[in-house]
Amino acid sequence: MSARGAVTGGVGPAAATAGPAAAAALRRVTGVPLVRLLAKRLVAAAVIVVALATSVFVLQRLSPLDPAKAMLGPGASASAVAQQRAKLGLDDPFAAQLGRYLVGLPQGDLGMSYRTRRPVMTDLGAFVPATAELASTAIVLALLLGIFFAVSTSLRWPGASVLRGVLMAGASAPAFLLGIGAILVFYKQLGWLPASGRSGITDLPGGPTGLLVLDGLLAGRFDVVSDALKHLVLPALAISFGPAVAIGRVLRTSLSSEERSDYARTARAKGLTDGAVLRRHVLRNAVGPALSMTGLQVGLMFAGVLVVEQIFAWPGIGQYTAQSIPVADFPAIAGVTLLLGIGYVVINTVVDILQGLADPRITT
Amino acid sequence: MAIAEPAVVPPSPAPVVSRAGRPRRDLTRLQAWGGVGLLVAVTLLALLAKVVAPQDPLAPVGLPLQPPGSAGFPLGSDSIGRDVLSRVLVGLQLSWFGAIVVIASGLLVGGIIGLVAGAVGGWVDTVLMRFTDLFLALPAPVLAIAVVAALGPGLRNTLLAVGVVWWPFYARIVRGEIRTLRARPHVEAARLAGTGGVRIALRHLLPGAVPAAVVAASLDVGALVLTLAGLSFLGLGQPAPAAELGADSARNLSYLLQQWWIPVMPGVAVMLLALAGNVAGDGVRILLDKR
Repeated sequence: MSARGAVTGGVGPAAATAGPAAAAALRRVTGVPLVRLLAKRLVAAAVIVVALATSVFVLQRLSPLDPAKAMLGPGASASAVAQQRAKLGLDDPFAAQLGRYLVGLPQGDLGMSYRTRRPVMTDLGAFVPATAELASTAIVLALLLGIFFAVSTSLRWPGASVLRGVLMAGASAPAFLLGIGAILVFYKQLGWLPASGRSGITDLPGGPTGLLVLDGLLAGRFDVVSDALKHLVLPALAISFGPAVAIGRVLRTSLSSEERSDYARTARAKGLTDGAVLRRHVLRNAVGPALSMTGLQVGLMFAGVLVVEQIFAWPGIGQYTAQSIPVADFPAIAGVTLLLGIGYVVINTVVDILQGLADPRITT
Repeated sequence: MAIAEPAVVPPSPAPVVSRAGRPRRDLTRLQAWGGVGLLVAVTLLALLAKVVAPQDPLAPVGLPLQPPGSAGFPLGSDSIGRDVLSRVLVGLQLSWFGAIVVIASGLLVGGIIGLVAGAVGGWVDTVLMRFTDLFLALPAPVLAIAVVAALGPGLRNTLLAVGVVWWPFYARIVRGEIRTLRARPHVEAARLAGTGGVRIALRHLLPGAVPAAVVAASLDVGALVLTLAGLSFLGLGQPAPAAELGADSARNLSYLLQQWWIPVMPGVAVMLLALAGNVAGDGVRILLDKR
């Protein structure tokens, strides 16, 4: 944190002790807009994550459920509950508990699940790879579909207005309807794609990442890869359709406004083909809004992941959440919230930095 | 994420981006009024849902698992012989008014915060907007799940939870409008005339910010209907016998391959409701948006 502070501040304590040469080098580095952007974004992300952790903790305090009672079950005696409260440190001052919580988090201490009676971190570790694979597939698919929608609705062809109507209706459909609709069509009627779980193969490679596609590639098991991809198609589509429409709409707007700009006309006037104008001039300027839209849509996609996992019996954190909600397992849900919140912040930070790379004028 | 920006810069790098991505096609004024008419029609339908519903949504009224179009069941019957249409109508009422209640409370809270931040300025503005940015930088639906988990499931708590995370967007918009209005001559004139700060805020600043806030809110109705349905699907709504669109679909997933209409119909209702919200929101935008 202090090193970051020194970078943003230009001259910090680190620079003062490291001698004039290092200070000059530091000043040179901080003069680079991208470095400043990077530093600002990282500090902002850190602040947001700490604030998120604090609010999750405050929520737990506000909750009428007594963690000690929840852990021991409804039949516990008052003295046992009191003992458990003391053991958990629930009678300590608020600030001390918050401090302990925030110090424990970076070490992976998310508390104990009331339901499984295991550390939430251990539980999440078992469910995260499946969700990570699905969510990352959905995000990539949303971007690709978004580009496809932007191009196919801006071209002049007879189906364009029909397609726009279909997209508008599709974007109004809840992810769960898209999921069950996809199952009815592509599984029940056509029989093209599987509708439940991550894989139909029993002897899966126990790979290093837990992502079946990657592990299959690493182990040279292409049957596993293609099977995993087939299982990914429908749930990833259900999650990414709505966000893709939103991304496509933004991309189309920014593409068409950039194409009408003076520099694009100049480029065309000097004889560049439409494709070259798009690739070399327009795209870099137009991609920013679409990227930031993608970042914003990730929040929606995370909610979509939780829902769609139920429908496709996907063994990820959506299942974990759904099992935790009815029994009010707050530590488990808090763990999921923290995980998804941090994922969202990280992705949006990356998006901000990508935008800075694509368009160096963005410095804030 | 606009956390580290100076306060005068607009919140998002792309102000044209609406949160859930809504259609931005140019409709004519007539179509715009059509959208508003749709808004009224849906609200009326929601209001009269219990009157319009042909059957008791909670009680079995005939044979179970009847397909749509069978006698007495226009949309079929569910696993214990309840009328799917009646359940969908009552669920629709809940979804629609839930969305409107959340939007209204979001507008109220966001409006007050935006008004105070914009009108007072200075460190108050900085503190309030940093707080707002924090909320904006987190995924609202996920946050709402944690809030419901803390409060305990149930419809009231779910609406409360979504309301807690649904105001920052409006606070940003109202504050932005107020900041631009503050520099306008009529406000300066009022100040020269010795008008007090509160009166300037309420009489000379607030009315100017209303259209932008209402436009943003009406464009959000569809997104909110979808969010609430998703949370209901996850089991964060009312307990079992109550008719709720998301939960009705989730609880009947096991019938999907044989009696598809039981889980599908509530989903279609959500889609039509969100679509109506989007079209109506677009109408409101065309009628109110000066830009």
